[in-house]
Amino acid sequence: MADRAERARGRRRKGGIRDRSRSLFILLMLLPAVVALGIFMYYPIEETFHISLMRSNGLVTAAYTGLENYRLLFHNDEFRAGLAHVFLWAFWSVLIQLPLAFFVAFCLIIYRNKVTKPLRSIYYMANILPSTITAMLGIFIFSNTNGVLASFARLIHWNWMMKIDFLGSPSIAFWSVFFVATWMYLGFPIIYLMARIEQIPSEIREAAELDGAGGWRYARTIVIPMVSYSLRILAVLMIVGSLKLFDLPYLMTKGGPGDATKTLGIILYNQGFVNWQYGSAAAIGVVIFLLSLIFTIAQFSWQSGESE
Amino acid sequence: MSNQEHAPRLEGLPRHARLDVPALLATIVLVILALAVIVPMILPFFFVFKTRLEYSYNPWSLPKQIRWDNFTQAWKVIQIGRGMLNTLVVCAGAIVCTVPPAAMAGYIFARYRNRLTEVVFYIILAGYFVPVQMVLLPLYRMSVSFHLADTLPGLFLPMAAFGISFWTLIYRSFFKSLPGELAEAARMDGSGHPGTFFRVMLPLAGPATVLAVLLVFIGAWSDYLLSLIMINSQSLFTMQLRVAQFLNAYGVDYMPRYSAAAIISAAPTVILYIVGHRWIIRGTLAGALKG
Repeated sequence: MADRAERARGRRRKGGIRDRSRSLFILLMLLPAVVALGIFMYYPIEETFHISLMRSNGLVTAAYTGLENYRLLFHNDEFRAGLAHVFLWAFWSVLIQLPLAFFVAFCLIIYRNKVTKPLRSIYYMANILPSTITAMLGIFIFSNTNGVLASFARLIHWNWMMKIDFLGSPSIAFWSVFFVATWMYLGFPIIYLMARIEQIPSEIREAAELDGAGGWRYARTIVIPMVSYSLRILAVLMIVGSLKLFDLPYLMTKGGPGDATKTLGIILYNQGFVNWQYGSAAAIGVVIFLLSLIFTIAQFSWQSGESE
Repeated sequence: MSNQEHAPRLEGLPRHARLDVPALLATIVLVILALAVIVPMILPFFFVFKTRLEYSYNPWSLPKQIRWDNFTQAWKVIQIGRGMLNTLVVCAGAIVCTVPPAAMAGYIFARYRNRLTEVVFYIILAGYFVPVQMVLLPLYRMSVSFHLADTLPGLFLPMAAFGISFWTLIYRSFFKSLPGELAEAARMDGSGHPGTFFRVMLPLAGPATVLAVLLVFIGAWSDYLLSLIMINSQSLFTMQLRVAQFLNAYGVDYMPRYSAAAIISAAPTVILYIVGHRWIIRGTLAGALKG
């Protein structure tokens, strides 16, 4: 009996599974999750690798072609543009969104008062809007017919600004979409960093205050080193997020004008579901998967290197 | 409040007065940034009460009178009602297919640890890092051969599969945090393994379940990419597909009616967020900080 209770506690490894009802119970409890992931995730992953090695056109999957799809992909201008945009996006996300998020999170904690306290929930709010709505708000702002910016420029007769086509000009469209994405996604790094900064023991902060290290010196010498691990995690999340980017650029500009805002997600969608080029779409899927895998593994190796 | 907690400690120090200036500046900057988040969300309300004519003459003026025509028209023309029904089915399906499997698996990983379940745990955890983009193509082909293509289950089943990993993780840490004596006591009273789980432990995990239902609902409500791939027939279009379709077809020309559709389609998530923002943020962080 005592043995049974101990096993029910389940903390200790008890030399495998002995009584039958217990193992049956474990099996049945795990079954739905395992089956769901097996069918809708692991089998399709295997399929993606498989299809990416096939020459396929339309609905017919034809012969095995080895790495031909990948070779063609890396010679394809559209794909190279997409890859460049994804890395550019990741680069600027880390360079712009991360410091901005840290600034906001830090200020919200250091200068907490009646006004700033409820702001955390407001910053995160944009994150839960459906992306179709966010894209629409972006179009409201950047559209050159009656958009907020265009109307504003007309109002104060800024002709140079009226001439800017925020979504239609290849060199600017990327930044317009990036701006909207920053607006939408900044909430998460803010609440994440806030939670981390709050974990810093209050004695450390008080000691710093007594030493006269207020504000930015406190941030630079104590807070940033203490949350550097979280900053790196967020950087990885931003990079992986760029690899998966689809909704906002697709809804706002369809990846255009030209290839200006095409991402790997958009090219995959076009190849697979518009042009019916399964082979190359699957190859893009594999590229997205491998790149996110590399960055995720990097994240975990940092984690185990710095296990708290 | 917390400002006052620190105040006594600083009193008598000469730099107390100086500290207020950066605090004031920071507060102003933070408020401006918060406005930058809020104001765009208010934009549709400028248009939604106007006729098209009013809108094209003067998009940014305050509406002269409150008219609800755009809402009723959005309901009829964009068929928001139909879309909402489909979306609700998808949400319900996603919740039913995500939360119970995750709760069950999470319970096993928290309370029945052995070498085998540990291996299964890592297999399920790994799913958390799989980008859905990677498997879109085989998912679609599979759903064609299972006759799930262009059906609502064909949408919410893969959606659920992609949510299970995260919620298993959450349930696992929640069940771990519950005192083990409760389960033992139930077992002593003679309830079997299933009885202990369903009658004692699962009700205790109520907070995790509420959070899971809430966030799975928001996620399913907002989904765009999977819906775009899986649904082709107009009659099955979810709300987000309807909204996106309208945006593609008319651009900003029909802005008043479009704003009405957008407001209807964003309202549930925004209302849920306003009511439950503390929970939502805490839940999001619980997942991320464990990550």
